[in-house]
This record gives sequence, C-alpha cells and structure tokens, in this order.
Amino acid sequence: MSTATAVSSTAPNSVPLGLIPTPFLPQLEAVSRAKSWTNWAGYISPLVLDTMEFEYFAIRNQATLFDISPMHKYRISGPEAGPMLERMMTRNVGKIREGRVGYTLWCDEEGMLIDDGTLFRFGPDDYRLCCQEPMFSWLLDAAWGFDVTIEDQSHSVAGLSLQGPTSFSVLKAAGLGAAETLRPFDLAEVEPGLWISRTGFTGDLGYEFWIDWDKAPALWDRLWEPGQTWGLRAIGYEALEIARIEAGFIAAHADFQPVHGAIRLGRGRSPLELGFERLVDFDKGHFNGRRALLAQRRAGLKRRLVRLDIGGFKPAQGALIYHRKRREIGHVTSGIWSPTAKRNIALAELKAPFGGAIKTNLWTEIYLHEEGQWDRRMVPVQIETKPFFQTPRARLTPPAPF
Amino acid sequence: MTGVNDFHTVVIGGGHNGLAAAVTLATKGKRVCLIERDETLGGMARTVEVAPGVQTSQIAHLLYNLNPTVLKELGIADQIKAQSVALPTVSLSPDGRHVVVDGDKVRYSDGGAHPEARAAAVLIGRLRKFAAILGQLSTKSPPKLEGGITSLATLGELAGLAKLGLNLKRLGKEEMREFLRIALSNIADVLLDELDDGPLPGALAADAVRGAFAGPRSPGTVFSLMYRLGNGGEVRLPKGGMGMLTDVMATAASEAGCDIRTNAPVTRIVVEDDRVRGVELTDGTMLTCRAVLSSAGPLQTMQMAGLANFDVEALRRMRNLRVKGTTARLTLVLSGKPAFKDLPEGLASARILIAPTVGAVERGFNPAKYGDLPTAPTLEMVCPTLSDPALTSEGRHVLSIIIDHVPQEPTGGWTDAARSALTQTAIDRIAAHAPGLPGLVQDSILMTPTDIEALTGAPGGHWHHAEMGLDQILTLRPANGAGHYSLGIRGLQLCGASAHPGGDLTGAPGRNSALHLLKETWA
Repeated sequence: MSTATAVSSTAPNSVPLGLIPTPFLPQLEAVSRAKSWTNWAGYISPLVLDTMEFEYFAIRNQATLFDISPMHKYRISGPEAGPMLERMMTRNVGKIREGRVGYTLWCDEEGMLIDDGTLFRFGPDDYRLCCQEPMFSWLLDAAWGFDVTIEDQSHSVAGLSLQGPTSFSVLKAAGLGAAETLRPFDLAEVEPGLWISRTGFTGDLGYEFWIDWDKAPALWDRLWEPGQTWGLRAIGYEALEIARIEAGFIAAHADFQPVHGAIRLGRGRSPLELGFERLVDFDKGHFNGRRALLAQRRAGLKRRLVRLDIGGFKPAQGALIYHRKRREIGHVTSGIWSPTAKRNIALAELKAPFGGAIKTNLWTEIYLHEEGQWDRRMVPVQIETKPFFQTPRARLTPPAPF
Repeated sequence: MTGVNDFHTVVIGGGHNGLAAAVTLATKGKRVCLIERDETLGGMARTVEVAPGVQTSQIAHLLYNLNPTVLKELGIADQIKAQSVALPTVSLSPDGRHVVVDGDKVRYSDGGAHPEARAAAVLIGRLRKFAAILGQLSTKSPPKLEGGITSLATLGELAGLAKLGLNLKRLGKEEMREFLRIALSNIADVLLDELDDGPLPGALAADAVRGAFAGPRSPGTVFSLMYRLGNGGEVRLPKGGMGMLTDVMATAASEAGCDIRTNAPVTRIVVEDDRVRGVELTDGTMLTCRAVLSSAGPLQTMQMAGLANFDVEALRRMRNLRVKGTTARLTLVLSGKPAFKDLPEGLASARILIAPTVGAVERGFNPAKYGDLPTAPTLEMVCPTLSDPALTSEGRHVLSIIIDHVPQEPTGGWTDAARSALTQTAIDRIAAHAPGLPGLVQDSILMTPTDIEALTGAPGGHWHHAEMGLDQILTLRPANGAGHYSLGIRGLQLCGASAHPGGDLTGAPGRNSALHLLKETWA
C-alpha cells in the first residue's frame, strides 16, 4: 500500500515573527496612501491603498492589481491524484480537463463545508488547489493510502490578480497577448514559469498570474508601466469585497463558517444549503460527506443561502430577515450597496421553508445612524436568482479591447 | 437461479467470531459463505502438532469468557461443556505459600486457610455482580438512540437501558455508589483497598490486564476485569486443545448449511453504488452477496473494500486505533511432567500464574512502554497434557505459556537474539518455581505479537483487535462512528473482536453483528 508523501518545498529556516511580506510589498507600499493594512493568513495585505471607491470603480471601469499571494496553494500530483481528489471533492473532478481550472468544494464526513477553492489541472495527474484556509494536514489525511505527493506551495508560488474590463489590454501592452486565446477558466503557461488563468473574484474580465515567489516583483513592474495607459490601479481587500458580492460569490467566515474552524455545534453549512447542488455529484462514486449529504437531501434542507434585493439604499450587513414583518427567519451574511447595479444587495441565510417554498412577504430590519440619531426601518426584500452583476465581456474570447 | 457462488452474506475470517456470525445467519435461513485465508479455521483458537505425537493449542489456550447466551443460541453449549474441564487458578508465591483461587474460594495450596479469603470472596463477588449487570450490554448492539424517542427501535433501546438502570438501582444505594466509584478506576487501587499486596491481588491484577497495553494502574482496568468476569470468570481447559471449539462451531456452521471455504484469501470486497455486491478471491472466484461481515481488523477491512469508499475521518480514526499487541505465546515441549516447588501434584494441572504482587505486574509492563523486552513478565501457564493425556504420547508434556507485556515490535526488531532472550527470560522465571524445568525442555516455540499478526491477521497481533480502553468500548468500539458494526457502505459490517462488546473468546461480536444485519430492512 503506497501512501501519500508530504513535501514542504520552502520551509523557512526559522519561524518568521510578525506579519510576513509578500513579494509585492515594496510595490504596494510605494502606491499606498492610506497605509491601511491587514493580516491575511499571516501576510501583510492592503485593505485600501487610496480610497475604496476609487479602487472599486477601477475594478469595474479600468484594470486592477490585487496581491493574492497569501492564498494557500497545494500541489497535488502522482498516479492517484485524480482518485484522491475525486474522493475529497463534492464535484466531478474528472470533468476538469488539463489546462482548465474548476471551482470546487470539499466537506467533512458530516457533509459540512471545509472550504471552497479553485483547482488547477496542469497534467493528467498534476493539480494545484488554491484556497483560503490552511489545508495541508487535511490534504495529508485525505491522501492517506493514495499514491500522491502533496506539496505546500503557499510560500513558493506568488499570485497576482489582474481584473477589470481593460485587463486584457494591459496584458497585451505588457507583451502577454498570448493570453488572448484563454477562455474563462482556461490555464496556460504563457512564458516559461509564468502561468496565467482566466479566473477571478470580480465577475468581470480578469486573469490571475502564478509565478515563482522570487520572480514575482518583476512581473508587477512589467504590468504596471504599460498598464497606466489603461487605467491600471492597485487595490485592497475592501473594494474587492464589493465586487465579489455583486458577482454573487460566497466568502469563508462571512457566508459560511469553515467547519474545521467552527467550535460550536451546528455552525457548519453544507454545499446544498449554500446553493451548490450543481457542484455535488452524487453519481460519481463515494466522496467525503456523500452519505451525510444524501441524508440531508432526503430529510430536506433546514436553511439555504439566497441572494436578496433589499429596499432602500442602506447596506444591510448583519440585518435580520423577517416573514410578514414579525417572524425572524434569517439574517444577512454579506450586504452592500452595489454602485454598479444601483441596488441594495445581499447574501442571506434563510430558514426553511423560506427561500424555498415561501419567497414572498419577506422583510429586513435596518438600523440607520443619522448624525447622532438611530432610526429603524422595515424594508421589503426580494429573492434574486441571478448574480447582481453580469457582463458579456467577462466571457468574450478573444476579449475585446475596452 | 442461485448459483454456487451466490450468497446472502459472505463472512470473512474463520475465527470463532466469524463462525458465530455464520452460524447465527445460517440458522436464520440465510445463504452464508465463510471464507478463511489460511488452510485451517480457528484464527487464535487452533490445535497444532508441536512435536511428532504432541498436540496443543497454538495461541489462546483456555476458555474463560465464552458468552453463555451465544453458546446456547448456537446450540453448542452442552458440547463445549462436555468437552472441557474447569480448572482452578494457582498464583505462585516466592515464599512457597501459593494461593489457590477456585471461583470465589481462596486458600493456600498446602490446604491452609488464607487470612484474606473472606475479603477476597466479598470483592470477587461484588465484581462479578457488577460484571453481570454490564454483561447485559454484551449481547446487544450498543445503544444508538438516534431515531428519536418516537421510533420503535429507540424505545427498545431505551427499555434495555432502563433495565440496566433498574438493575443498578436494585444493587442498593451503597453497592450502586461503589459501582459508580470503581467502574472507571484502575484495578490496583480497588484491589489494594481490600487486600494486602501479594499473589492473590497479583492474580486478579494479571487477569485484568492480560492482552492489554495496560498495567494494573492504568485507568479502565477495573472495567476490563469486570468484562472478563462478565460470564462468571470460570476457566475451562478444552479437551483436544482450542481447536475443539473451532471444530464444534465449524460443525454447527456446516449443519446449518453454511458453505465454508479455506485457502480463500480476499482480493477485494466489491462495492458498487455504496453497496456491497460481492467478494473477489485471489483465485479469481467472485462470490456475490448483499452483505459482508468481516472479522478482520477495521483498517484491513477498509483496505479490502477500497479506501476511497470511506470518509477521510472514518479512515483516520481506524488508522489511529490503539492496537499494540502485548502478548507473546510460548510453548515448551517437555520430556516429562513439570513439577513446581511446594505445589501439590494435583494442582500442577491448574492454571498457574506468576504475578507475585500487583506492583510486580505493574512493573512488568514498564519495559513494553519503551519497546524493551520484559525482564520479569507476568505469566499465565497451563500444562494441558496433564488433564488431557490424549494430546501427547511417550510421556511427554506441554507447558503452554502466555507472556504478558511484550512489545509488539521491540527496538531492533524480533531478531533471533531477541526471541531467544524472551524465551530464556520466561523459562528462567518459571524455573525459579520449577527448578527441574530447564532440563525437561525438548523444544520451544515462541509466537511474538508480530508472528500472531502474520498468522491470524489480527492487527498488531492484539488479542482484542483493538485495545479495550474506555475510549474504545461500547458505542466507541472500535471507534466513534463505527460503533454499530456498520462501516458506512450498505452491507459492510465488522464482526470480529474489534466490534462491540470486544475481545477474548466470547463469540459475542460475531453473533451481535449477525443479528444487527438481520434487523436491516433490506437484509
């Protein structure tokens, strides 16, 4: 019986103290006026570089760079990488072809979501998993008994996200026009050591770069100068957060609690409850949590995550949802005013049967602070099925030069 | 049409639990095939020839925890009783005042009264009484209660638990308090509260820890002694060696219509759509079935069925099961009768223990913790050829010895040097009481935990296939989530010692698992 082997490619000689710089920190510091930083998985990461609004509109109208090096990255390779991932993931991993990227979810034995992420397929038996939460020990457990190697590349591969309508124009100006043929979720090595995937977290046209840690700063410089013609801006987390809610993407610790980090009983959520039935393939054979998810489907979902259009213009973050203005039936998990859709939007978790059989007469209670005075309003909410922001340019191949 | 290879259930492993499961299912009219990878049935309960014309039990050598309910249900209780003989226990003392324990009667081997006979009788009586209450749990699946209190199954379980509670209540306030005080405690404290340390508590301590990676001061050892006393605690020597038990059970299985196949190792358990479909043997034979009851270890069973069919956490729990074998088995072929100093000849056929004090048993465990060979191990021995002369010829005898607290794999491995050192340690320890023994030894056969694992497949060579600790009993046996025999795949169940109620030659896990299967609506 062959078993999984673990490789930690660039284990530091000593444990770093304090926040760790990403390879792009010098470039980020140079453009940071707000000096507003946060801790993302132990790395220094910008919340805002200039102003949030300025950065948000750059996402929707120009092009933006966001440092995603703090994402956890794991190379999963070996003769049984496919079967190992198939057993771990709820979706059919075999349907992700070579040179493609798939959005994927994985659960514990109770069918509760551990995390979501993107799975990059480099070759027949060669993948990289990219996710928010640290996953090395879980991957080792999931790989036990399979002939695979798990390599933690979190500290050796840098990531940079280029998003926005002019992002392809920036690429072209930087001499990376070879990415023209990439369709959404395609992955290619456009130059030796530089991988580009047409992926992102904004719902717009965009690309992500994957490159050796040491070579990353040069990549930024290569994009930055020619990008200025196309309005290229560096952005922080806050602007991206608005874009991702508009695109309808869920985020860990907001719309679901990664179950390995949840201490209280019953805080985990299943992919079915989060609305990802299409990414749970019950027919592909066993996968982790399958029996529990089947039982949950049989018994009926107790809650579900929905998209809401909320009356008024005050963001409803954290607000409670009511039926007939009286009965509390859920709460908003992510809520913003969408500057592009010009709507007050939110993701919310509703208890069954609300959001399922009952979709009307739903209300939310919003607290308003207006110059020293608190006010409370009941506003109507509508359930939406589509993302609040969708644009054909996100899917157009070859991309147009906006 | 049902073909010769089409069955309702395939039972993997022809040890006593596999046989108990097979008989239970076959007598309920199910088509059962029992497969054993070895050429003979029996697992740890086998009789082998150790020298021309000399036969003896190969691994387990005494019957002392067979479950009477199970025997009765299998219809073999009378046969087993008729073909075995009850033995007293002698605990050897360095000063020659050996202690004889016969049921709850305690005396010196010279016939003199033991000053603590009364205290011992009270203690043993109490432990037996408690054991009988816990024993009710042995013949049932562990409580699940997951159907909610409106389900019929849950009500049945609740009724069972209520009966357990009622029986505890019936003990009376003081006894119930005592039960609750000691149930999870260590046997050393309980024994030494009542008795002065010596061969008498030493013997009880030895019985509490035999087969376990535990010493008398380890928590949970009161439970393990009660588990052993759950069926009365009587020790019986099987006539014809332990193979007798296997033969009787195999005959019962055949008579019930069970197809028994030996030399039939498994390539894989075939699983489709999360259901058991069959078992493929190494010779290519495909046995189709709707259920597989496996008396192999849980991890081994999962490997047969394909690891990808199990959840990561379930597999992790089985990988991390506490299952370090601690017992070696030594057989000495002797040219004549063994004689023990200050022990009347009539008692030479008894079960003889070298467990001079509770402290000695505890210290005997120490080297195993660090991968070292024992220097003064606790020993259980019996000379079966004295009670059962048919086993031997030409005046030869066999001394059958269980050496406790042997590391599963000592530091440096089981080299020839390590093997002969362990053999010599055991012989020397016995020779202190039987000076003539070394001169009688014609041959010695040592089975280390590693050997036992290789021969029987028992994980770690562990007697119980999984340590009988408080973390691995009842609903947690062998591990959380697998406490009700099922391993998740429909039709795949454990039926060996790793399942509830646990190890020793009880037959209960096999029989319970079979009854559990029959409760499934699809079975």
